[in-house]
Amino acid sequence: MFKKSILAGIVVALGLTTTAAIAEYPSKPVTIIVPSKAGGSTDRTARLFTEVAEKNYDGFEFIIKNIPGSGGQKGFEAIARATPDGHTIGLVFTPQLVAHIVSGRAKYTLDSFHIMGNTAQDPAIVVVPKDSPIKSMADLAAAAKANALTVAVNGIGSDDFLAAKSFESATGVTFNLLPTKGSTEQKAAILGGHVDAAFMNLSQMIKQHQAGDARIIALLTEERDEHLPDMPTAKEQGYEVFMRATRGFVAPAGIDEAIQTRLDTMLAEVMATDEFQEKAKTGSIFLLPMTGPDYLAYLKDLMAQTKAVYDKAPW
Amino acid sequence: MTKKTADRAILALFIVMAVLLYISTANYPGIAKTTSAKYVRFLAVFIGLLSTVQLAHSLYKDRSHNRLVLTENMPRFLGLLAALIVFALTFEPLGFFIPAAVFIPVVAIMLGYRRPVVIGLTTVGVLLFVYLVFVKLLAVNLPGINF
Amino acid sequence: MLEHIAVVFTFSSLLTIAIGTTAGVAIGGMPGLTATMAVGLLVPFTYTMDPTAGLMLLGGIYCGAMYGGSIPAILLNTPGTPAAVATAIEGYPMSRKGHAGLALKVSVVASFVGGTFSVFILLMFAPLLARQALAFGPAETFLLALMGLAGIISIADENSSLIKALIAGLLGMIIAIVGTDDMSGSLRYTGGLIELIDGIDFMPALIGLFSMIQMLELAGMHQHEIDTSTLHKTQKREPLPKGIGKHIALGSGTGTVIGILPGEGATIAAFISYNLSKRISRAKELFGKGNPEGIAAAESGNNGCVGGSLVPTLTLGIPGNSVAAALMGAFIIQGMIPGPELFTEYADRTYPFILSLFVANGVFLLVGLGFAPYLARIALVPPALMVPVVGAFAVLGSYALNNAVFDVYLMIAFALGGLILKKLGYSLEALILGLILGPIAEGGFTQGMIIGKGSPWIFIESPIAKVMWVIIFLLLLPPLYSYYKNVHLGKEDPV
Repeated sequence: MFKKSILAGIVVALGLTTTAAIAEYPSKPVTIIVPSKAGGSTDRTARLFTEVAEKNYDGFEFIIKNIPGSGGQKGFEAIARATPDGHTIGLVFTPQLVAHIVSGRAKYTLDSFHIMGNTAQDPAIVVVPKDSPIKSMADLAAAAKANALTVAVNGIGSDDFLAAKSFESATGVTFNLLPTKGSTEQKAAILGGHVDAAFMNLSQMIKQHQAGDARIIALLTEERDEHLPDMPTAKEQGYEVFMRATRGFVAPAGIDEAIQTRLDTMLAEVMATDEFQEKAKTGSIFLLPMTGPDYLAYLKDLMAQTKAVYDKAPW
Repeated sequence: MTKKTADRAILALFIVMAVLLYISTANYPGIAKTTSAKYVRFLAVFIGLLSTVQLAHSLYKDRSHNRLVLTENMPRFLGLLAALIVFALTFEPLGFFIPAAVFIPVVAIMLGYRRPVVIGLTTVGVLLFVYLVFVKLLAVNLPGINF
Repeated sequence: MLEHIAVVFTFSSLLTIAIGTTAGVAIGGMPGLTATMAVGLLVPFTYTMDPTAGLMLLGGIYCGAMYGGSIPAILLNTPGTPAAVATAIEGYPMSRKGHAGLALKVSVVASFVGGTFSVFILLMFAPLLARQALAFGPAETFLLALMGLAGIISIADENSSLIKALIAGLLGMIIAIVGTDDMSGSLRYTGGLIELIDGIDFMPALIGLFSMIQMLELAGMHQHEIDTSTLHKTQKREPLPKGIGKHIALGSGTGTVIGILPGEGATIAAFISYNLSKRISRAKELFGKGNPEGIAAAESGNNGCVGGSLVPTLTLGIPGNSVAAALMGAFIIQGMIPGPELFTEYADRTYPFILSLFVANGVFLLVGLGFAPYLARIALVPPALMVPVVGAFAVLGSYALNNAVFDVYLMIAFALGGLILKKLGYSLEALILGLILGPIAEGGFTQGMIIGKGSPWIFIESPIAKVMWVIIFLLLLPPLYSYYKNVHLGKEDPV
């Protein structure tokens, strides 16, 4: 009751002061909601942005608010519910953002957000233990046909899971899927040879691959990746399986247009600076700048694909 | 209530919980049927059995009539509990500092502490410490009014 | 190596380590502030620092916090970290008898030895040991959780009913299954609450079951019951008990080994060390009533995890626990991706970091020994003042972990429910052990079943598994036998 009346008060106050708000924007620090723990890759992306943005834009101050949990859902919900006055924006990551909608768990929809643009990405990969006889995607398909391979994915509904499912439907095999809690368990399972293969992300395994502790056999992106240029994609090997994780910025829908445009422009400009790109490289953040409309189109497309997988085998 | 009765009631509760837990595992989907469901069923069977043994033992052997005493000073006990709940309720709208500035002196006085200077210094000390460590050093986001 | 040592022994490095370690002790000592949280939140700040100094700061926090948890456990029966629960079982009774100073001393010395030993192992044998640890799969993880759970029997066999301790442990494991089923991704027993999707965090439970219950009990006491006559005793400096070295050595070894294995190690390590130490002790009957041997084993055990957990973190990028995972973030942010390169290309940062951990252990030894007599006086703060302060921190700590007010209500519920169970003779230590180890056991069991394609044979197959079963039986048989003997001879009423 008490809470509601306070909220009502805020809403009224905002309605009265909208015009004044544009002139004074930003009147206080902008909160960036990060739907994961401090220190993780999404968190690092956000902090990198704030560092460069604060330096280059006078009057802007940012506060990072970590709301981890439930595969990002708690944080996504918080962004969607935030007051749309330009003082709260947030990061989202895929495919979890759309997977929660598809599985019917989310209270938000894509319309709850204004999509500002994508920042970073991490290609999905297929990786096997170092002494595995599997050397290519064809080997993987053949081995999986002969007997059920144990394949580690990072939880149900994750990008790894969706990639494994789409490989299954592309080849007609069935994996013995092992869902893990976090990529650490996947890494341990691959390095220790406890599983036959794993679907993971490039940044998680690139060093182990280069050190010879594990073997990446394919990238699941349309093109090869500059970080590992010799690695062929699944498509080159004849398997149309695509997956990557993306991390982009969104705002709650309904922000005043002038303010929203300022924020969108700032994001694009910050991502274009040398300083941002330099630091991203050091911190192992793979950049993939996309404009708001492009990213929205990507999200819609991804949602359709995810729904197709979900309808076949819901989780 | 006697200790004996409370104990038996809780054991009965555990047995009911065990049965419900066991039944619920029938609805686990997909791969969970052969993995998680087995684990949960194991827990249900074990706690059900142990609770039954304990309950039987209590019914046959326990002839005691001790009362269940949660606390010797019920007003203070309930006062602290109420203060905690009020603290939690006001945490989101008002933040940490305002409720804490009320909570600490009120509870101290309720528990019979009568030195206002010490209470005041303690309250200020705690608030300052939290401000420095949580807000300044760790940048934890406390809800409500921030300073 | 000499040039790396020189980097550590500069004034600014030593100061950084000292600040980090002292802050760590305070963080570990505060119920609700955890090392994971502190390291996670400070990682972004080290971004702008000199890389080596940043890592030293975080390393100091890690070492300090692991020790710091034992201080309130001993003085107030409110363990600052779950790994200090075993310490509280022996430490608080010692405080009540006026030996708080000695308990604190044993704890800091044991922590120092355990921590230093494990860092030494990290420095000398990291790559070799990390390879060995990889053989440890989900099935073995399940058995490790069982070994930890065997501690329940150890908690029970002298003081309270064995059956009730087991029920409490199982109850903890059942509370832990609320949330997402990792195998299917479906939700179980959440009642539609979004707050429960990730399950019930052990931190609100720990604060509620120990800190808050202790405060509720203090609030409900008659004033005259609070004993201040121990003041003089705590001031007396007592020498370390004879024969304690054996227990410290046992804990250090156990802690380091368990730390190296992937998974949440410190709590398991503390309980297994405690359990083992009780088995070899000549004064078994004193356990649970304030035996310094138990503190020695538990504290050297959980601090042994610090160096141990960094072994797979630095060499393979597989963090041994959640603090190490947060620490790994700090390495990555500086472009130092864990792997062999840390020891070649980045050797000028990695080795000073490892060496700084020795200094950190030394710092908390000095802090602990220097302040123990003063810290011991905390136990004498009037309860009327202590209760509101600890209460406020309990609320804040429960909230701060996930920024969720829901966790505050959860903490209060655990305090109230736990108090009733405690009065009825259920062991809350067993309950928290079940709550923490339940998910590890379930993860190991369910993943093992998938890898074994439905056959339980996988839990016995490997040589490591066989050895672990032998240890589990050795841990279980003696207490069960003595329990049986007592019941059979009718020496005491078992229930």
